[in-house]
Amino acid sequence: MASTDATESEERTTDASDTDRSEATAPPEEYDGPLLQTDGLVKRFGGLTATDDVNLDIEQGERVSLIGPNGAGKSTIINLITRRLDPTEGDIRFKGQSILGLNPHEVVQRGMSKSFQQASIFPTLTVRQNARVAALAAEHGSFRFNFFRHRDRFSEVEGVARETLEAVGLWDQRESPAEDLPYGDKRRLEIGIALAADPDMLLMDEPTAGMSPEETHATVDLIEEVKEERGLTFLLVEHDMEIVFRVSDRIVVLNRGSVIAEGPPEEIRENPDVQDAYLGGVEL
Amino acid sequence: MSDETRRADDTGTVDETGTGLAGGDLLTRWRSVKERESFVILGTVVAVLLFPYLFARAPVVSEILQGYQSLAELMLIWGIFVIGFDLLHGYTGLLSFGHAAFWGGGAYAAGVFAIHVSGSPIAMILVGTTFAVLLAWVLGFLSLRRGGIYFAILTLAFAQMLFYVALQPLSNLTGGDNGLGIGGSTIEPLLGFIPLDAGVPVITMFVDTWMYMLIGIAMVVTVAFAYRVLNSPYGMVFRAIRENEQRAEFVGLNVWRYKLMSFVLSGAIAGLAGSLFAIQQARVPVESLFWTTSGEVVIMSVIGGVGSLFGGPIGAALYLYISNIVQGMSEVVLFTQIDKLFPGAQAVVLPEWASPAPYWHLILGLLFVLVVVFIPRGGIWGGLQSIGSRIGSRFGGDR
Amino acid sequence: MIPDAVALQTTGAIARLLINGLQAGAIYILLAVGLSIILGTLKFVNFAHGALYIIGAYLGLIIAQDPSFGGKLAEWGFGDIGLGFGYLAALVVVPLVVFVIGVLMERFVARPFYDRPDTDQILLTYGIALILTELFRVLFGGASRSIDQPPWARGSATGVPVLGDALTALGINAVSTWRIVIILLTAVLVGIVFVLIEYTDFGLTVRAGTVDAEMVELLGVKLSRPYLVVFGIGAALAGVAGLVGGPLVNFNPDYGATILVPAFLTVVVGGVGSIRGAVIAGLSFGLIQAGLVQFGFSEWAQVGIYAVAAVVLLVRPQGLLGQEVAA
Repeated sequence: MASTDATESEERTTDASDTDRSEATAPPEEYDGPLLQTDGLVKRFGGLTATDDVNLDIEQGERVSLIGPNGAGKSTIINLITRRLDPTEGDIRFKGQSILGLNPHEVVQRGMSKSFQQASIFPTLTVRQNARVAALAAEHGSFRFNFFRHRDRFSEVEGVARETLEAVGLWDQRESPAEDLPYGDKRRLEIGIALAADPDMLLMDEPTAGMSPEETHATVDLIEEVKEERGLTFLLVEHDMEIVFRVSDRIVVLNRGSVIAEGPPEEIRENPDVQDAYLGGVEL
Repeated sequence: MSDETRRADDTGTVDETGTGLAGGDLLTRWRSVKERESFVILGTVVAVLLFPYLFARAPVVSEILQGYQSLAELMLIWGIFVIGFDLLHGYTGLLSFGHAAFWGGGAYAAGVFAIHVSGSPIAMILVGTTFAVLLAWVLGFLSLRRGGIYFAILTLAFAQMLFYVALQPLSNLTGGDNGLGIGGSTIEPLLGFIPLDAGVPVITMFVDTWMYMLIGIAMVVTVAFAYRVLNSPYGMVFRAIRENEQRAEFVGLNVWRYKLMSFVLSGAIAGLAGSLFAIQQARVPVESLFWTTSGEVVIMSVIGGVGSLFGGPIGAALYLYISNIVQGMSEVVLFTQIDKLFPGAQAVVLPEWASPAPYWHLILGLLFVLVVVFIPRGGIWGGLQSIGSRIGSRFGGDR
Repeated sequence: MIPDAVALQTTGAIARLLINGLQAGAIYILLAVGLSIILGTLKFVNFAHGALYIIGAYLGLIIAQDPSFGGKLAEWGFGDIGLGFGYLAALVVVPLVVFVIGVLMERFVARPFYDRPDTDQILLTYGIALILTELFRVLFGGASRSIDQPPWARGSATGVPVLGDALTALGINAVSTWRIVIILLTAVLVGIVFVLIEYTDFGLTVRAGTVDAEMVELLGVKLSRPYLVVFGIGAALAGVAGLVGGPLVNFNPDYGATILVPAFLTVVVGGVGSIRGAVIAGLSFGLIQAGLVQFGFSEWAQVGIYAVAAVVLLVRPQGLLGQEVAA
C-alpha cells in the first residue's frame, strides 16, 4: 500500500537516508545561484494590484528585510512565496527550480520554513511535542506509512527536537504545555518550530510583533545566533526599523505593490524616495 | 504519554517528584508502568474478562445493575465503534456525522457475504472491515475537501446517501426497510468447529460464550491497535492537526493525507465493530446506516470523554445501559439488596409517575448537553481522571 | 390533430414535473434559506433546525385543528388541546411563535457558544435537537400525524378561476391547489427575506457583519440585535416549512432528523450565506426528485439529490454561489 500511495514529496525523501533530509531536498550540487528568486511577480485581486512586477534575488546566506507602509503588499508577497496564493503572473524559483504548482507543505519540504505573525503553535501539546512535530516533518518528509511503529523508535527526531529547543532556550520548559508559556516564549517556540523543520531559508513575518523590549532583544539575538551557527538565509518582514537596520544585509522597500528601493541599510536610510514614501516623518 | 516514562530518566534537570516522600517514588513508578503498552493491553484483557461476570452474573452487583450477557456484548461492540470514532474526532479534531456509513456498511458487507459466500465469523469480520476501509477512502476523499462544520455536514450527507441506497435501490441485496436477516444458522462456528453459543471451557463463569470471547478479543486488538497508532508518529501528527492545522502544514506535513489516514483508520475500526454487530445480532437493521446511528456514537464518545482511549467504551456502556435497562424500568425499586446489609430494612418502591422509563432518551439528551456545555473535552473519563490525580497529588505531593 | 395532442401531453408532463419539483423544492428552500442566513451571518451551525420544523408542524396542528394526542399529555388529561382555529390562523401564529423561539435560541444557546469551537456548536445544537425531539415524543406520543389541507385549498387547481384556465392551457388537468399554494407562499416569504437582506439598512448591517463583524462594531453599530432578528427569521421560516409540509408529508418527532440532512445539503450546495444559492439548490433538488419519480426511478429519488450534491461539491467545494474559501 505504501508504495502505491507515494507522492512526489515522498519520493524525494524515500531514497534518501532516514536521518539526512537535506540530501534529498538539496539543490543540484553545482547550484550556487540565488536561493530565492521572484521573476516579474504580479498578483491582482479583482481590480487591485497587490503585487506589481516584483523581482527579488536572495543569495544563499543573505539576510534580507522587506519593509514598506501598511498595505504595501508585504504579506501578499509572503503568501505568494509560501504558496498560499497563486500569482497572477510571474515565476518563483527556490534553489533554481520553480515552485509554482507545489503545495505549501512541499515548499517547506524543499527547505523554506516560515514563522508566523502570531505565535502559531500547538497549544495543548508540550513544548517538546511541539518541536517533535516539526522535527518529524523534517526527518520523515511530508507523509509516511508508518502508523504502526512506536514513536520511541525514532531517536533522530528526538535529537532534532532537543537541539532546537536548546537553541531557542526552551529546553528547561520542555514538559510544560505550550499554551502556558509567556507570550515572548511562545514566539520563541514558534521560531523553534520553524527551525526544527531544518530549513535553508526562513521567512519571518514580524517576529517581534507584540513583544516587550526585552523579548525583542532576545529574539534579535536569537536571529543573529541562528544566522551564525546555521548559515541560514533570512527573509524578514518587520515594522521595527531598529531591528531591520541591525540584522539586515540588504533592505527591499515596497510601496503599493512595487519595489521602490533596495540596497544596504545605510543606503536605504539615506534614500529620499524611501523617506518620502515610508520613513517620511513616521518612524524615523 | 511516553513523556512520562522518559521523564524518569531525565534526573538532574527537572525532577519534581524526587523530593523525599517514598510514596512519590512509588507513584512515579506506577505512572511509568501504567503508560506502558503491555500494561494497557493487559489491563484491557483483565477488564474484558471480568466485565461480563460483574455485569451479568456476580452476586449483588449484577442484581442491582440488572445486567445481562447480550447487553455486555453490545457494550463491547459499541465500545469498539466509539474508539474508532474518537481516533478521528478526539485526536485529529474532525467531527464526523457519517460514521454510520462504516458501521452499517461493515455490517451489511459482513451479512451479505455470510448469506452468499461464507458464514465464517472471521471471514465476515475481514470482509466487513475491508469494505469499511474502501468506503472510508472514498468518503474521506470527498468530505475532507472542506474543514470544520462542512466536514460534519458532508460526512452526514454522504452517509445518508448510503442509507437511501440500501433502503430502496439495493433492497434486493439489503432487505430494504426490513433490514437484512442473516439468521443464526447461517453464521458458522468459529474456525469451523467452535459454535459461537458454546461456553468457553474453564472461564465459562467469566465470559460465558465464544461469542463474547470473539468480541472481547476484537476489543483487545482494537485497544492495542489504537494505542499503537496514537503512539506512532501518526498520533503526534493527528494531535498537531487538531491543535493547529495551518501550522502543521507549514512545518512541511501533508496534512490532507494524514487526515485521510485518520479517517480510514477510524472507518476501519467502525467497520470491525459493525461486522461484529452483524454477527452478534444475526441481522442488520437498515437504521444502522441512518444518521442517528452516527449521532449515537457522537453522544457516547462525548459523554465518555473525547480524546481518551478508555472514555469511549465507558460512554458506550453508559449509553446502552440507560437505553436498555432504564427503558425497561416500569417500576423502580431502590435498595433491593439492602436487607443483606441491614437485616430488616425495606426496599423502596418509587411511585409510577417517577418511573424513568419514558424519559430514558431525554435523560441521555440532557446528560449529553450538560457534558458539552461544562466538560466538552473531559467527559466522564476526564472526570474520573481528575479525581484520580487529585488523590494522587494528595499522596505524591504537587505535580 | 394528433401532433397537437402530443405537444399538449408533453407540455403537460413538463408542467407537472415543474409543479411537483417546485413543491418538493419549496420545503427544502424554506429550511435552507433560514439555515443559510444563520450560518452565513452568525457563523453558527444549527443542528436543531429540523426540530424547529417539528415545532412548526405540531404547533400548526394544534392551532388549526382539534387533534387528540397520545403521550403524557393524554395521561395528564390534556390530550385534546387542539384549538381548531383553522389553517390561516396557524399561518399567522406559527411564524411569530417560532420567531420568538429562534430569538431565545440565539440569546441563550448560540450566543454563549460563539467563542467555542465550531464542533462544540454542532454538538450543542444536536443535543438540543435530541431534547426537543424527546419532549415532543413524551408529550404527544410517537405516532405519525399530518395536518389537513384547508378546505379552500382542497381539490384540483384547474377549478380555480384564472389559474385553472392557465393550467388547462398548459395541458395540466389534475394538480392539487395545495401544491400551488405552497409554491406561491414560499416564493412570497423567500422574496420578503431576500428584499430584507439585500435592500434594507438592516440587511446592509447584517451583510457587513458577515464580512467583518469586528469592523462593523468598531463603527459603532451593535450587531447583537440584528443577530437576534436573523436567527428569529431563520427559525420562523423553518416553522412555516413544518406548517406547509405538514399536509404533504406525515411527521412524527423523529422527522426533524430526517428533513435536516437534505436541508443542510441544500445550504452547502447553494453556497453558505447565499439566499439565491439556496433557492437554486432547493429547486434543483426538487426537480431532480420529481423527475426521477415521474420517469419511473422513484426508488432513486432520494439517492439522486445526494449524488448530484456530491458531483457539485467535487467541482465547486464552496457551493454554486458560495464565496471562494481558503481550503
